[in-house]
Amino acid sequence: MPHEELKGRVLDTVTFPVEAGKIREFARATLATSPIHEDPQSAAERGFAAVPAPPTFAVSVAHHRTVDEASALGLDLRRVLHGEAAWEFFKPVVAGDVLTAHREVADVIQREGGRGGRMTMIIIRTDFTTADGALAIRQSDTIIERAA
Amino acid sequence: MSAPDLAPAPADLTALTVGDEIHGQFGPITRTQLVRYAGAGGDFNPIHHDEEFAKSAGMPGVFSMGLFHGGVAGGWLAAWLGLEHVTALKLRFTGQVWPGDVLSLHARVDDIEEHADGRLIICSLLVERQNGDVALKGEVRAR
Repeated sequence: MPHEELKGRVLDTVTFPVEAGKIREFARATLATSPIHEDPQSAAERGFAAVPAPPTFAVSVAHHRTVDEASALGLDLRRVLHGEAAWEFFKPVVAGDVLTAHREVADVIQREGGRGGRMTMIIIRTDFTTADGALAIRQSDTIIERAA
Repeated sequence: MSAPDLAPAPADLTALTVGDEIHGQFGPITRTQLVRYAGAGGDFNPIHHDEEFAKSAGMPGVFSMGLFHGGVAGGWLAAWLGLEHVTALKLRFTGQVWPGDVLSLHARVDDIEEHADGRLIICSLLVERQNGDVALKGEVRAR
């Protein structure tokens, strides 16, 4: 059972390459219709240095992690829901970038659930920086563990 | 893909006005799409691809990860507003989406702030199942 002392805990920091093939795979899996995610010429016409990642692409950092947040936070996957995901975009992420994702627990909120048990909301913040150290994307996820 | 589809005409941000709307639709959602998204995004929670596990969690079966249909909606909004203009995206998952569902996407310009360096467009997003259940509420900002 997660507790409020998890607040501030750093989950992990991982560095990974943003690859054109992964961008294409992600764009197709999310039914993106814009050619800019596959065609460098279309991307260049819109001012991108290479094919850009779709807006929610940063989540694919999951492939590069070795820390599973459910076990790290003591969550039961059968009771876990993704409540909210939010991103702030500071600069475009394009093929060829190398991103470093730093993930920590921003907040933990506990509430009495409808059936007498405790519902826990965990806010996880992930900052994605490019190789020059500039913040490109800040992602916030709200993970909800329903009462047992 | 059913019409209206997921290829909105690109917006001219200087011409948008409060109340402008676009609508899209996709589905029926297949288990194959969920598995493909799991592989693309890296979400291997078995509740989204393993029927036995989903049933052991008290669900009737597997259901969509919010980031699959949320990712579709995000890409659709970026195709409309221009990816290079999108500064923020928020997705709140308000209900489950199941294989077989056909989703309707609705985006509306709720507010426009005029700033010295340009306009900030604030749009709301709503994703509904075929029965009217709201699966997702969101917001996107562009400038």
